[in-house]
Amino acid sequence: MSERKRLLMIDDDPDFVEGITSILEGADYAVDVAYNPDDGYKALESDPPDLLLLDIMMGRGAEGIMLARKIRKDPVLREIPVLIITGIREQIAFLFPGEPVHPRFVAVDELVEKPVEPEFLLERVSALLEAAAERKASTN
Amino acid sequence: MKDRYKVLIIDDEEIVLDSCTEILAGGDCEIATAADGTRGVRRVQEFEPDLVFVDLKMPGLSGLEVLEQIHGIDPTIVTIVITGYATVSSAVEAMKQGAYDFLPKPFTPDEFRLITHRGLEKRKFVLDSIALRREKELLRENFAAIVSHELKSPLGAVQQNLFTLVTELSDTVTEDQLRRLERMKTRIADLMELIHTWLRAISVDIESIKEDFEPVSVACVVSKAVESIEPHAVRKAINVVPSLEEALSPVFGDEGTLTEALVNLGNNSVKYSHMGSEILIKAKEENGHIVISVSDTGVGIPEEELPYIFDDFYRAESGKAAAGGAGLGLAICRRIIETHDGSISAESELGKGSTFIIKLPACESNIDHEPGLDAKFINHSSRR
Repeated sequence: MSERKRLLMIDDDPDFVEGITSILEGADYAVDVAYNPDDGYKALESDPPDLLLLDIMMGRGAEGIMLARKIRKDPVLREIPVLIITGIREQIAFLFPGEPVHPRFVAVDELVEKPVEPEFLLERVSALLEAAAERKASTN
Repeated sequence: MKDRYKVLIIDDEEIVLDSCTEILAGGDCEIATAADGTRGVRRVQEFEPDLVFVDLKMPGLSGLEVLEQIHGIDPTIVTIVITGYATVSSAVEAMKQGAYDFLPKPFTPDEFRLITHRGLEKRKFVLDSIALRREKELLRENFAAIVSHELKSPLGAVQQNLFTLVTELSDTVTEDQLRRLERMKTRIADLMELIHTWLRAISVDIESIKEDFEPVSVACVVSKAVESIEPHAVRKAINVVPSLEEALSPVFGDEGTLTEALVNLGNNSVKYSHMGSEILIKAKEENGHIVISVSDTGVGIPEEELPYIFDDFYRAESGKAAAGGAGLGLAICRRIIETHDGSISAESELGKGSTFIIKLPACESNIDHEPGLDAKFINHSSRR
């Protein structure tokens, strides 16, 4: 039996956070929350989680993107799988409607759109955790 | 607003410079002088004046040349020419060069004060209108981002919790309660879609897509559009049938928005079609034009409404009952097609169906066809 997986969620909307954490906690994940990118980064550094759930539009703009890029440059933190949950799709001018932000726009493992169906979220989370575990096993 | 304006006087007569400086002294503007055109132009760059007086007749660089150079440095600087001859022709010439006014020598202190005042008023007006225009642009650019965040965030939070609750309560809610919850999900999703549509119509500068125009394969556009329309069509058991002439010339444009236009037409047809019917998407080449048509056998559009269907926020009376929507889909299509120098039209018969026709200029140059794309098409209609 593997130990309880620890997730960190960074999102500035407390109501949205509750909607997500409720799903994850119901599936027996331990979820920490940071409500802004700065606190989020501190939490990441002090106690790296097994997976990061990250919002894009926070603070004065797309601060989630900045954070994701910063994480990707960090030799330790880059190993943490990142799942972006965002409502951003139409904000990037003239993307084809219905198409979410292009995955190449930001280096993350997966990007899902707000709102997320609980089942789909759990599926993505467990897939990312498994992939990360496999990556770890193959490098060791 | 600026609290202190800067006035520069360029004149080769020292007495003019001194008296002008004296007249304006004690007022609320800062004054600088230059004794010839070359120095004057240099002074314009350092001093960044709001208003410049230029003597038309100076040794060296002429007044007109100075004017031209000043306007080259900053076209928003207000210039007034001083002319010793007071001839109408030289003043007119200067005004043609963009001078705001002229001041004939000799002038009284009051005349000079008055014209300075008028020149600075003009400058204020110019600066105000620039600021306004910039603000308008900024507003439009930011509108999408602001509205998105302010409207979509709360709605997104509500939506997420609804999603979560529906799942968490799935064991305890009755069928009727579940139906109502699902209904709420749909209503909020529709609202979200509406926000997106409005944002697009309002905030996007469609002309900007012209910068990235390139030869686009019509087959590719149709293929992608069909892919997007199908999920909607399937729900009503509608068959989407593409039928393309072989070896169509490409069109010069933007693939994404052209696809969007075609998707809008297709989805529109799906909306107004009967269950189990067929939507035909045809593309052919005719007299140097690519003609793409989308035909359905749905409810049709009354003749008197046909002229208005491509207007913003228009939704056919007969359509209201049949389907929701912002009434912007066809307007967006029209804008996209017109930006591509094409035209869009509709033919319809009430109760029998509608045909929407896009006409785009065919592109001369050939593009490399993606291998397999055409082959995919030949098989497409027989896929099901």
